[in-house]
Amino acid sequence: MSLFKRTYQQAPWRTRRQTVGAFLVGLVCASMVGALYLSVTSQAAILGREIQTLEYRIGVNKQTNANLNTQLAELLSSDAVTERSREMGFRTATASETHYMVVSGYTARQPVSLASSTNSYGEASTIPSVYSESLFDWFSNRLRSGR
Amino acid sequence: MRKEYSWRSISLAAFFGLIGVFIILQMLRIQNSPEAEEFRKTTRGYKGWMQTVYPARGELYDRNGHLLAGNQIVYEVGITLENIENAHTIAETLSAIIGIDYAELYQAITEAPEDQIYHMVDEYVYTADAEILQQMKTEMEEAMVDGIEQQPSLAGLEFREHLARSYPEDSIGANVLGFVTQSGHGYFGIEEKYNDLLAGSSVDIWIPADPNRVEEIPQVPDGTTLILTIDRDLQVATEDILDQALYDYGAKSGTIIVMDPRNGEIIAMASTPRLHLSEFWAYDQIFDNASEFNRATNLPYEPGSVFKILTMAAALDSGTVEPDTTYIDTGSIQVGGAIIQNWDKQAWGMQNMTGCLQHSLNVCLAWIAVEMGPQTFYQYMTDFGIGRATGIDLGGEAEGRLRIPGDADWYAVDLATNSFGQGVSTTPIQIMMATSAIANGGTMVTPHVLYGMVRNGEQYNIPVQDAGTPISSQTARDLSEMLANSLAYEESLALVPGYRLAGKTGTAQIPTEYGWYATDVTNSSFIGWGPVDDPQFMIYVWLEEPSASIWASYTAAPVFSQVAETTTLLLNIPPDQVRHQLATK
Repeated sequence: MSLFKRTYQQAPWRTRRQTVGAFLVGLVCASMVGALYLSVTSQAAILGREIQTLEYRIGVNKQTNANLNTQLAELLSSDAVTERSREMGFRTATASETHYMVVSGYTARQPVSLASSTNSYGEASTIPSVYSESLFDWFSNRLRSGR
Repeated sequence: MRKEYSWRSISLAAFFGLIGVFIILQMLRIQNSPEAEEFRKTTRGYKGWMQTVYPARGELYDRNGHLLAGNQIVYEVGITLENIENAHTIAETLSAIIGIDYAELYQAITEAPEDQIYHMVDEYVYTADAEILQQMKTEMEEAMVDGIEQQPSLAGLEFREHLARSYPEDSIGANVLGFVTQSGHGYFGIEEKYNDLLAGSSVDIWIPADPNRVEEIPQVPDGTTLILTIDRDLQVATEDILDQALYDYGAKSGTIIVMDPRNGEIIAMASTPRLHLSEFWAYDQIFDNASEFNRATNLPYEPGSVFKILTMAAALDSGTVEPDTTYIDTGSIQVGGAIIQNWDKQAWGMQNMTGCLQHSLNVCLAWIAVEMGPQTFYQYMTDFGIGRATGIDLGGEAEGRLRIPGDADWYAVDLATNSFGQGVSTTPIQIMMATSAIANGGTMVTPHVLYGMVRNGEQYNIPVQDAGTPISSQTARDLSEMLANSLAYEESLALVPGYRLAGKTGTAQIPTEYGWYATDVTNSSFIGWGPVDDPQFMIYVWLEEPSASIWASYTAAPVFSQVAETTTLLLNIPPDQVRHQLATK
């Protein structure tokens, strides 16, 4: 104890340096965490903006698709197809001109199925976790993935 | 020395302390000041905004995937008033391109109220017109020269694209589809019946400006897409046949329905007149009342002798008669004090039940109804669904009217007249549903137009709905045979070579507004189905007041034949002989 007092009396700057050093280490750590958080937050903000832009584009594309679908239907409408067929020299077959034959493996035409077997709409609307995870989640994932 | 100068440190600390206190006090003052709420409102505005989202209306497809009703891009054209540079140019251009009244528009944009910032000109401008306007606006901007006033300019003109209903097939199936007005509400047919499903629900959603909260923006699903049981090609062919029949037989209007009697799917449904759906605003010029939009479901009438099928079915099923029961037709019968006569006012002598149907003898059927008694007869008619709506999924279905004993306006003679389809009003679809019991082994099917719906990437098909079993399968088989034989024996114009069909004509007198029947006009009907041993289609034809002949056997029957032949071709139903050969292989 007496040695400590003596040492302090001889060089008080040593303990001050330790205090300042500890403070600076804390400051550097806090700055690093702050910088990291700022970086992640800014990246998330940029990606959020990109999502907003992409969703707007999805809306525009859906409108365009609907419009093109209707235009295609107009080109393939009964009147249009009949007219083109007539111009190409086709006409409707009569009953006496129709012949029926067995085609192995043929099944009668079934009503249309417009939906795929997967729920694609649900998948498309799910936002990836990268846009919603917290800093802690992100850090945990990084640790788990070893990166 | 240190103490001597310590007051400096204290003064500085006190000064900065006072500044800190002052800042805190100022913050508290601002937060509680009258302007604080304004600041908060402004801040909230920066956080995000409310937006009403209108999901795209669901599409309509036929059973083979042909688009019957879709959506196309149209433009809302409006004017931001503060950006106007030349109101005359705007009014003149819009007047020329989209037909807006020049004076009205000019006044609206030059004398607008001070607080108005935007004037909506037209919500539905087609793409072609909008593109012309956009091009003109660009060209005028490029041609502007500095320093010259009142140059031609469309500055202020704004365009906003959105979706609107479009019908690629125009009038085909119009009576089934119905239409959507610019307000987005469906009228008639499928558009009315499934309006809520098709339209989706408009939603007010909060759009946060903070990109970190992008996940909070809800996904608003579009309207449900519907697949109909209609076969577009058969629908077109049926409408063509109907239009030609009206011309050939001089009929006022008409209806043809093609249904699958095994499951109630309506494969084609034609009705005249038809509306060009892209010009739905002409509705008032085409129809006198709403029931004319689709006569097949909305317009009750006295069906006449096609009703005899139901009377005979009830009589056979109740054991009142058998197919071989004979009746000596003397040409008249008295019921309830009234004399009932045959269509030709002749006596047909001894007839079995097939003969009664083949020659469509009113006297015979009236006798059968009397033998059955009113209680049994009306119970069967009720079981067949006469007098109530079928529940078909089309807007505006009518119920018709079946007067029964106990009603103030029912008389004893009604039993006789009802037995051959007079004095009772039904829609064609009601007769089809009732008669489906005969074609479908005794079980009626509910007619429907919706095959399936597509929502969230999943397709949900509509299951078959039975509508009751009013008669036994044996009765159904016997009656089908009787009707097929009666067509064959009389060499009906309804027959189609190669196919054994069952059916019945109906020539009905038309009641006048004075209470008696018109003498010179009739309603001609025919209902039939085939092939008899495996019914795959059932067809109803109704021609109103044909002038070429008052008899259905010369008007409705041949129309049925044409539709039946076309149906067999388009639905790939081979002739009976071929079908039987194929079945044995």
